[in-house]
Amino acid sequence: MEGALDLFLQQLLNGLTIGMIYALIALGYTMVYGVIQLINFAHGEVFMAGAYLAMTALVFFGTLATPLPVWAVFAAVVLFSVVGSAALGAGIERVAYKPLRGSPKLTALITSIGMSFFLQNAVMLVYGAKEQSVPDIFPAGRLEAGPLSVSLLQGVIFAVSIGLMVLLTRFVRHTRTGKALRALAQDPDTARLMGVSVDSMIRLTFVLGSALAAVGGALFGMYYGSVNFHDGYLAGLKAFTAAVFGGIGSIPGAMIGGILLGIFEAMGAGYLSAEWKDVFAFVLLGAVLIFKPSGLLGENVPEKV
Amino acid sequence: MNSRRLALAAALLVAAAVAPAALAGDEVRIGLAAPLTGDQAYIGQCVLHGAEMAVEDANVKGPVFGSTRIRLVPLDDQHNPTQAVLAANKFVADPDVVAVVGHFNSSCTKAASTIYHESRMAQVTPGSTNPEISRQGFDTFFRVCPTDDVQAPAAADFVRSKLGIKRIAILDDQTTYGKGLADAFEKRYRSLGGEVTQRDGITQGEKDFTPLLTKIRSGKPELVYFGGIYPELALILKQAAKVGLVTRWMGGDGVAEPTLITLAGPKLAEGVYVTRLGLDPHTVPTAKDFASRYEARHGEIGPFSAYAYDAANVLIEAIRRAGSKDRQAVLAEVRKTRDLPGLLGPVNFDAQGDAIGKSIGIFQIQDGEFRFIEEARPAAGS
Amino acid sequence: MNRLPLSAQVAAVLLPFAFLPLVDRNAYHLDLMTNVGIYVLLAMGLNVVVGFTGLLNLGYAAFFAIGAYTYALLNLHTGCPFWWGLPAAGITAMLFGFVIGLPSIRVRGDYLAITTLGFGEIVRITFNNLDDWTGGPNGLLGIDRPVFFGFRFSVNATPYYYLTLALVAVTAYLLFRMIRSKFGRALVAIREDELAAGCMGIPALQVKLVSFGISAFIAGIAGAVFAAKQTIVTPDSFDFVLSVLILAMVVLGGMGNIWGVALGALVLGVLPELLRGFAAYRMLLFGLIMILMMIFRPQGMLGGQLIRRELGRRPKEGSDGAA
Repeated sequence: MEGALDLFLQQLLNGLTIGMIYALIALGYTMVYGVIQLINFAHGEVFMAGAYLAMTALVFFGTLATPLPVWAVFAAVVLFSVVGSAALGAGIERVAYKPLRGSPKLTALITSIGMSFFLQNAVMLVYGAKEQSVPDIFPAGRLEAGPLSVSLLQGVIFAVSIGLMVLLTRFVRHTRTGKALRALAQDPDTARLMGVSVDSMIRLTFVLGSALAAVGGALFGMYYGSVNFHDGYLAGLKAFTAAVFGGIGSIPGAMIGGILLGIFEAMGAGYLSAEWKDVFAFVLLGAVLIFKPSGLLGENVPEKV
Repeated sequence: MNSRRLALAAALLVAAAVAPAALAGDEVRIGLAAPLTGDQAYIGQCVLHGAEMAVEDANVKGPVFGSTRIRLVPLDDQHNPTQAVLAANKFVADPDVVAVVGHFNSSCTKAASTIYHESRMAQVTPGSTNPEISRQGFDTFFRVCPTDDVQAPAAADFVRSKLGIKRIAILDDQTTYGKGLADAFEKRYRSLGGEVTQRDGITQGEKDFTPLLTKIRSGKPELVYFGGIYPELALILKQAAKVGLVTRWMGGDGVAEPTLITLAGPKLAEGVYVTRLGLDPHTVPTAKDFASRYEARHGEIGPFSAYAYDAANVLIEAIRRAGSKDRQAVLAEVRKTRDLPGLLGPVNFDAQGDAIGKSIGIFQIQDGEFRFIEEARPAAGS
Repeated sequence: MNRLPLSAQVAAVLLPFAFLPLVDRNAYHLDLMTNVGIYVLLAMGLNVVVGFTGLLNLGYAAFFAIGAYTYALLNLHTGCPFWWGLPAAGITAMLFGFVIGLPSIRVRGDYLAITTLGFGEIVRITFNNLDDWTGGPNGLLGIDRPVFFGFRFSVNATPYYYLTLALVAVTAYLLFRMIRSKFGRALVAIREDELAAGCMGIPALQVKLVSFGISAFIAGIAGAVFAAKQTIVTPDSFDFVLSVLILAMVVLGGMGNIWGVALGALVLGVLPELLRGFAAYRMLLFGLIMILMMIFRPQGMLGGQLIRRELGRRPKEGSDGAA
């Protein structure tokens, strides 16, 4: 007999799982925005590319005569996905955004939109329009803790996501390069004067953001078991919402925003109506922004006259 | 610099206006309108392939009349009604196009139907199941697929009477097709005294249904009816297992595709009921041949490819009988279609253009395949 | 040309377009150009908020939808004729513009993007889900076509084309008047430096709100025309992709420049049709062309001109971009 608490916890778990993935994608949006004030619409497609690359790798490993251990395959697949997507992200930056550095922000926004159309259709042409199945490599075990049941993959998602977020935070706070990134985000001119190479830092931001999105994509593909060239659009939109919700430009904000958005959606769908869940998410977002106009953890930078 | 750009834009416009002249010669054209890009691209492309095969098969047999062969002209409507109207206008403006297979999505077909009607051009849809379209009174509209208000009540009868199920949940994908199906099912099911514990919707393209399925689990339905297409149902089946929702499932022809079994896996797909028009292409001899030829070229046979094949054939045969490129003549012949052999049974149209004489088949997935269970006809007065 | 009165200037630019249906009877071309006309209206409307006031709106399609559904519902439930439905649609959209504008304008620049995006999605989902009111995904059908002094519009796009052209002319004229007025200068001042504008006594909040309202009104009008032309409205005509496309038209054409955004609408409206020959590659090329256009002309086709011409400053060289 299922109690209300059990149901609630289960829904929470559902929300957390997708929330982690939103968080991974949201980080890419927020980092790029923090450094060059661009809303990178093509980021969702980088995520989608990560998912497709992971699928390709998984299919490849599936054809091997002697199957490798699950952990080795998982690591190799994620690595493959990360390398591919990071290259893609860096490439996009170099080709489409770098030439527009001095231009109005909206111009780069439109370029990113064009890039998004381009990538979606490129993937559709390469892989076909059909929904593709992602091979399942994880053993079917579930961890039962009372009423909750968590699958192995879900556990992996939590562990990997949290691990990466911790690593990223440490990188940004404690390493020299990380500090250079933050300096650039705070005050590009001074940062330049202090010897920070703007080009490399920006490229690094894209590489990091894309890598995270790729991991998200790989996990996403494995968790849902299928990929479609349209996946980046919806997930990207939600992750962007999450990043703004958490305070665009704030790394912890993106993480919290992603997780919270996942939970709101799950609660909305689970307790109210799945039909309206996107509406709830946006209304909640709007409400938060009214009270905290810069997002949850966004900085309220006073304008100096 | 700016006037140069304006000039360029103007030049482009003029170029569009004097668009390439029609290919000379002995050719009559059939238009094909479907979502070739966008979120339904895969299904649209399957429709295209099905129609292409019909045209090729016809041309292989020789000219359709005189020395005239058929050419298929595809246009993309991107599952967008505005684009659908544009595509319809484009077809209508082309004097060589005599009829159209299209569109696929009900919203697009509806939007475009006024254009075809006004231009007296026959339109046969392979996949728009919304009943409202044929109720507009357009004599240019035909369809080879079942309407939602035939398929769904038949399913409801089956679930209530044959399976004896008393409590169900209903889901739809909030599209014209899915919601139409689910609404018709619900109405019929309730009228038979069944109980609906929950009615909810998902969005096409979404991936995560775990919160919704967890909620449905609490209601303990004996069966869940899904108005939608197979990609979402495959995900639902997988995730239902994850959240521990154990129940039976049923869907309409949008999920009656082998890809469902591939995506969800035979184990999870086992036992799912579906309704489809007519018989399984793999079991009918002519259809079996179609299925294997299609698979050889394009891989797995796709949704609605067989319907598209039949739809194109309706037009091809009408052109053959009319013996001319005159739209009105072809239209008249389409109306006269009687017992045309089709992959999914003989094709006949009623006065509104709906497909008649076809039974709805109830199938169940068993051992990784769709097995025919029984024919179902909804009781009179539904 | 600048010495002619404004109305003559507007007429001069648009007059050539009036000849199109006379020289080209092709139904497809007329339909396309009518759609382009509707896009032009939308681009001009969005330009008020994005180009003139410098605020980002990612959910503009919502106002378009509201206008379309307003006319559709009024017509289907009360038999309201188009000529009354048109202003009703505009006003309803405008009211929603105020409603969404109010909380949004307190919110910082890029956050506005999200609230407007959210609003766009909320409107679309609401229209999709409220079956009993809006017909749900099926939408509303059987909307009446306009009747003009006894002449009933039909499937033929020509009368719609002229209607749209007339609306474009009137809108352009009014927008030119507006931008040259005190209110218009206030908008530009806010765009350039909101704080300074405030110090000069410009009530930024109210001005932004009115700007939102005007922008929404124009979209509402466009929506009514759209509904009357298609005779059906379905939620899938008003998605985020459309909002983004209109924004692209504004940026591509040159933000702030009225004829610029009209040109942007023309180009982005016609381009997908020109690319039809490329079949499955069509959207790929469309994206690529968008990228290239932005890289090679970041200020947009006619961008960079507004301040120079309108405020009489000496022409400034270099990409000062959002002029």
